[in-house]
Amino acid sequence: MSEMSVMKALNLAMFEEMAADEKVICMGEDLGKQGGCWGTFTGLQEKFGENRVLEFPILEAGYTLFSVGAALGGYRPIVEFMFADFVTLGFEGIVDIAAKIRFNSGGVDSCPVTFVLPQGGGGKSGAHHSQSVEAWFANVPGLKIVAPTTPADVRAYYRAAIRDDDPTLFIYQRATMGLTEEVPDELDEVPSLQKAGKIVKTGADLTVVAYHRALVNVKAAAAQVEEETGKTIEIIDPRVLIPFDKEIVFDSVKKTGRLMVAHEAPERGGFGAQILSWVVENCMKELKAAPVRVSGVNSIIPFGDLEKYLYPSVEDMKAGILKALK
Amino acid sequence: MNFSNEELLDMYSDIVKSRVLGEKIVEYIFSGKIAGAIHPCLGQEAVSAGILTAFKKSDIITYGTETHRAQTVMAHRVGWKPFIAELLGRTGGCNDGISGEYHIHDLKNGQLPAAGALGGTWAEIAGFAWALKNDGKKRQIGFAPYGDGAISQGATYEAMNIAALFKLPILFFIENNGIAMSTPVENQSPLENLADRAAAFNMKGVTVDGDDPVAVAEAVLNGMELAANNEPNVVEVKTMRWEGHYVGDPQKYRDLSYKEDLVSICPVVRFEKRLKALGILDDEIIKAVRASQTKEIVEGFDEGLSQNVATKEQVLDYNRVYSNNAGGEL
Repeated sequence: MSEMSVMKALNLAMFEEMAADEKVICMGEDLGKQGGCWGTFTGLQEKFGENRVLEFPILEAGYTLFSVGAALGGYRPIVEFMFADFVTLGFEGIVDIAAKIRFNSGGVDSCPVTFVLPQGGGGKSGAHHSQSVEAWFANVPGLKIVAPTTPADVRAYYRAAIRDDDPTLFIYQRATMGLTEEVPDELDEVPSLQKAGKIVKTGADLTVVAYHRALVNVKAAAAQVEEETGKTIEIIDPRVLIPFDKEIVFDSVKKTGRLMVAHEAPERGGFGAQILSWVVENCMKELKAAPVRVSGVNSIIPFGDLEKYLYPSVEDMKAGILKALK
Repeated sequence: MNFSNEELLDMYSDIVKSRVLGEKIVEYIFSGKIAGAIHPCLGQEAVSAGILTAFKKSDIITYGTETHRAQTVMAHRVGWKPFIAELLGRTGGCNDGISGEYHIHDLKNGQLPAAGALGGTWAEIAGFAWALKNDGKKRQIGFAPYGDGAISQGATYEAMNIAALFKLPILFFIENNGIAMSTPVENQSPLENLADRAAAFNMKGVTVDGDDPVAVAEAVLNGMELAANNEPNVVEVKTMRWEGHYVGDPQKYRDLSYKEDLVSICPVVRFEKRLKALGILDDEIIKAVRASQTKEIVEGFDEGLSQNVATKEQVLDYNRVYSNNAGGEL
């Protein structure tokens, strides 16, 4: 075991997968001596060479499409967008080309590209550098979306995303890059993307589904509420949004009878709405109260400290939990 | 470059095949047998014939897409019957008639995925060309065609930049038919020759007469050789679209006086004259070639039309969307 941050876990996962499979390649901006904008690619080019860690000019549209061609040529590209927001330029390559490779080839070809998207707040970077993008892609059949939070999960599920044969968005949050925990030196088994939900803590009175910084804030808020009310709260980290582990959430809600969903992306059309719909469709009989969503405000992210007005805080999570418990 | 009489006659056979295919597509669309807006190659047959000649003559293997009007090249890659069946949306198609001719994809036959929004496949093919080069596959290249319209798209510049920077084995091919849907080329680019854009990336670029299949074949062969030596380059061929953007397009945006005398601008007639002057073609051969090409294409259409369309289960097959691990649920 060793103490490891999310940032280090990302780096380790790539070292592990590049060593395990020589067809794994990385592409993006500043991936060479700089080691990527966030340092997550540190040492990779030095170890694996320029033909496996491809440093591109600033052309996200171009290298997104390039990655699909390389995948069809037998490679397994990891494609970094410096900020998840910049994926707007890669949209065609992901949504129109990568997602349709299998379908338009009659189920013959796969497109094993991992698109890496550091997203959300925490950097105080404003409107074009802080968005949460998972819902932009959740409506596109053919894609998978992986969104772990803790260092151990980031390492395991990043490796799983790279190994998956379908185009996969690996979304992590910049605000939690510094999160640390003890991580095993060796990963016993690279996990499946199926049934990836994890019960972070058990409880009897409310189920909360949350990921990324929302999960961190929910944990803090739940501890306060439990102490103040004596109620117990079950927290689920889905870790993978598509394919979503519905069963773990349904089973929990059938036990607690209450649900809250939390994320930093705006509420309107957010992935939380999807989770909530599934639960209402499948657990209506067991629900004792209307489910609650706590999410980002449906607005534009301002610069600097002002971003705090957009994202749900620990207090917002607490208010949501109390509302859901009523 | 010299082409043998045999090669020239094969080239003639391909130009006629393109013409017949174009005519049949128009006929089948008007009789309601083909769905969607298909773009027939009428007027541009020399382009496909030239490309095919180059592909057949060279030992270089190409992987690429085609412009929508180079259907003869698509059919050559994926096979005539699978191509026609896909065009008709029938189960004998290269994707069971499910993706359709304009989303054609058949990697085992060198057909890389087509894209609906134009511009992107140049960069996609560059990625494939990178893989070929990185795997040390000699004399295998990416073939990246687009029309005059698509190359205004930013992704094409990104693709040329990447290709030149990484010295990729790729030939960028511009089929300039003078018009993008309704917009004439002079309203799309300030350049006289679109191949001049290659200079911005320190690549070679040539422009040739796209209504002369020999000139097209020579330019493509040269471009393929350069590409195989990791020298990406641009070949532009200038031709003319006879039909509208789609079959039935009234073309209100265009001066249609060219239609009064199509014979004088016809690339097929022009090539026939040339081959007759060389003494290798006569009216009898012309009739025979047309008859045999028509027979093959009509048989392809008949066979395609005798097939079923895909079932709901085939269309909604989970394995057609995901490779694994998605829980078996669409």
